[in-house]
Amino acid sequence: MSRRESHIADELTALLDGALDGARRAEVEAHLAGCAGCRAERDRLARALSALAALPPPAAPRPGFEQRFYARLAREAPRRRSLLERLGAHPLRWLVPATGLAAALAAGIWVRQDRQRADLEMASHLDLLENYVAVASLDVVETPEDLDVVTHLDELRGARR
Amino acid sequence: MAPDPDAALMLAFQGGDEKAFRALFEKHGRATMAFCQRFVKDSARAEELAQDVFLKLHQSADRYRPSARFTTFLYRIATNHCLNEVRRGEYQARPELDPASEDGAPLDPDALAGPAATPEEEARGNALSRDVGAMLARLPESQRAAFVLARFEGLPYEEIAVVLGTTVPSVKSLVHRATVSAARALEPWSGKGTPS
Repeated sequence: MSRRESHIADELTALLDGALDGARRAEVEAHLAGCAGCRAERDRLARALSALAALPPPAAPRPGFEQRFYARLAREAPRRRSLLERLGAHPLRWLVPATGLAAALAAGIWVRQDRQRADLEMASHLDLLENYVAVASLDVVETPEDLDVVTHLDELRGARR
Repeated sequence: MAPDPDAALMLAFQGGDEKAFRALFEKHGRATMAFCQRFVKDSARAEELAQDVFLKLHQSADRYRPSARFTTFLYRIATNHCLNEVRRGEYQARPELDPASEDGAPLDPDALAGPAATPEEEARGNALSRDVGAMLARLPESQRAAFVLARFEGLPYEEIAVVLGTTVPSVKSLVHRATVSAARALEPWSGKGTPS
């Protein structure tokens, strides 16, 4: 397949999705009229989209879906706010960024030692590690629910802005 | 932009109207759970993720600005949360559960659509779901997110670009590459609707 044909192939999904503007659509369709390879590729992609259309809908929730959420909301929203307020009022709150930085440095050393294994794992948990070390140092993690708040600490900081 | 009734509800919630928030959950909570099911295998976990998304929404309501459609804002939170879940990887190893028998509770009859499937149709649908799930799990995360938003949520490329914080040409490329992967993975399903 030539470079030009390859470029057209990149447009076939957008063509099927109706996402090409009029001029580009006309160019792609003109190319298709004279290129059996690209027509075959378009048809292959179209068959895949048809197969996806036969996919059954995701499983529906169990009865009581809304009630379970409202119960969790009532349980967790005040606790999250409460912990944030305790953090904000703590005399050692200035330690949070410093401890977070120390955790990040320690994490960096660990990552260098075993980069291949650690890269994804550590990158995805770095914020959690920082939050946990910072909050634990202030002695405000008392319950499993507090731990959950720690995992969302960045959001709470954002929400306070 | 056309008036967005969900944005009005969100603004009402910003003003302290908790009922407006509940109205948003009642309107979008189940769809959010369905979206989350494209990222995790079992429906109980998908429900938890959907709850997480709305808890985040509850906490970050002050950051919402009606310049973006509410659903765009919601998709952004949900996509980020689901991708974080996938990155953690802890649910990839879980065996797939039959959603109707996780705890013996029946599914919500209000949410069931259409006539009941025959056993053959159900088996075929389950097999197709497994193949699609496996295909999604193999996609790079940006392709996976773009593909789910385009194929299952029906979002236009422009809105996907806003949700993912990227450009329309980038979305076009992501959706195309993922669709090529899907075509390869679903080759056995092409034509008659059953793998040969």
